Amino acid sequence: MTLWRLEWLRLVRTKRWVALLGVYVFFGLLGPFTARYLEQIVSFAGGDLDDVGAEFPVAVPADGLGQYVSNAMQVGTVVAVVIAAGALAFDSVPEMGVFLRTRVTSIRAILVPRVVVTCAALVVSFLIGTAAAWYETWVLIGAPDAAGVLVGAVYGSIFLCFVVVLVGAVASATPSVLSTVLLSLLVLLVMPLVGIVDAIGRWLPTHLPGALADLADGGTPLTDYLGAAIVTLAATGVLFEVAARIATKREL
Amino acid sequence: MIETSALVKRYGSKSAVDSVDLHVERGSVYGLVGPNGAGKTTVLALLAGLRRPTSGSIRISADPQQVAVLADTPRFDPWLTGREAVALAQHLVTGSDDHVDTMLDEAGLSDAADRSVGGYSRGMLQRLGVACTMVASPSVLLLDEPASALDPQGRRDVLDLVSRMRGAATVVFSSHILSDVQEVCDTVGILDHGRLVFQGALDQLLAGSGVPQYLIRLRGPVEPAIRALRPHEWVLDVEQTGPATLTVTVSSFAEAETALVGALAAADARVVSFGPGDITLERAFLEVTRTHAEAGRPAIAPDPENSEMP
Repeated sequence: MTLWRLEWLRLVRTKRWVALLGVYVFFGLLGPFTARYLEQIVSFAGGDLDDVGAEFPVAVPADGLGQYVSNAMQVGTVVAVVIAAGALAFDSVPEMGVFLRTRVTSIRAILVPRVVVTCAALVVSFLIGTAAAWYETWVLIGAPDAAGVLVGAVYGSIFLCFVVVLVGAVASATPSVLSTVLLSLLVLLVMPLVGIVDAIGRWLPTHLPGALADLADGGTPLTDYLGAAIVTLAATGVLFEVAARIATKREL
Repeated sequence: MIETSALVKRYGSKSAVDSVDLHVERGSVYGLVGPNGAGKTTVLALLAGLRRPTSGSIRISADPQQVAVLADTPRFDPWLTGREAVALAQHLVTGSDDHVDTMLDEAGLSDAADRSVGGYSRGMLQRLGVACTMVASPSVLLLDEPASALDPQGRRDVLDLVSRMRGAATVVFSSHILSDVQEVCDTVGILDHGRLVFQGALDQLLAGSGVPQYLIRLRGPVEPAIRALRPHEWVLDVEQTGPATLTVTVSSFAEAETALVGALAAADARVVSFGPGDITLERAFLEVTRTHAEAGRPAIAPDPENSEMP
């Protein structure tokens, strides 16, 4: 029984993987569908489009992935934060923290499996959701730019890893799972506000989730998000170090 | 061996642990007793490295991974089985899990080993905690109230497990159940308001270093002796505890040693036997903490070689 297996069991036995996979696959299937049939959905819901003169543009492949990203990256990120907090706030029950801390030589031995397994579960769920959205977009609307989708998915995955490590850093400094969730979400909400200034926003981690939809049309250079990706990777490394140092100094 | 020197832990202006000089011999079972809030858990957390001292030093003659800690209310991920929890506890320290079944058996959890921990009672969790603590054969054990949640049989099992560690490991055992401490510990430290008010061999404490009392057996009537002793300033109380037995509580052994025999002789008492009071740890503990509170005196950590004995 290792700490890696412990994290795998946490994912499987608590059905957290169902929540993660469910969210991304659900929106992966729903996104392209709503993009393709938005006009019909609104009509079916009772909207009389002739009276208001609303006109829906013909859906393009980027719209299918755009719908997926806008839904999955909001609800999915909240679910990711909750699941990451459950794994990374290991001191929230001090007796469990005592059990682990007194048996390892470095706090990193506890942190690394939790971060890596949570990131892996999150990225796999996101990629499966992306694959579902890609396939359905191709069937219902048309083929998106393959390179754009692949690179966009990598950018999205980098963002999700950043979210997990951010939660880890917050968890190391807060007393409970709830406070970890709330503070992490607050940070993730404030970041786009700072990014309203375009010169800053294009470098922030919160710029990356939009890459998948943006690059899927094939018209945007793949390197447009490279700066934000590099900053995000660097921030992820720094946050992990911060998490490890704060957790090491923490008293139970 | 475990030694602390002038160990202090403050939270703001409040001292949770105040100038504690702990001395635990290698292979001994040391009982750390004291009322709630005395600082027992804080001392154990400091020894375990879970908290940092404000000042003072700690010396433990063991590798940090050889120091095992049992929290007062052990908790585990509820979706783990008992076997997995013990296997994790051993694997993290030794890299193997070859003692798991033996330890589960010793803790009386073999039948529940493959059940989820979430379904365990508090007593079973305590047993599981003990199993996890001992499975890697640590050389230092820090046990915080290890038997507090257990039924009589569970307490018996845990005390037996702790007793068996004597000689093989150094055990610091905190408890407010003094009969447990009296049963398994050979050395006792009494904490009161963060201060170590007594430290020494259990026998030494029970013999009267904490409670200066004498048990006197007389031949003939005891009333004249009672009347003769009561007026003395150094006599705090005289109680007839049997047909021909007196228990005399004195203010200090030093005064009693020089004056008690003379006072009895002056009363023409026919002394059959004379010795320190036969007391329980509970009584000794209450006396030590009461004396300490009344005197407001600093921590007493008598040297076993030079402590005041009758």
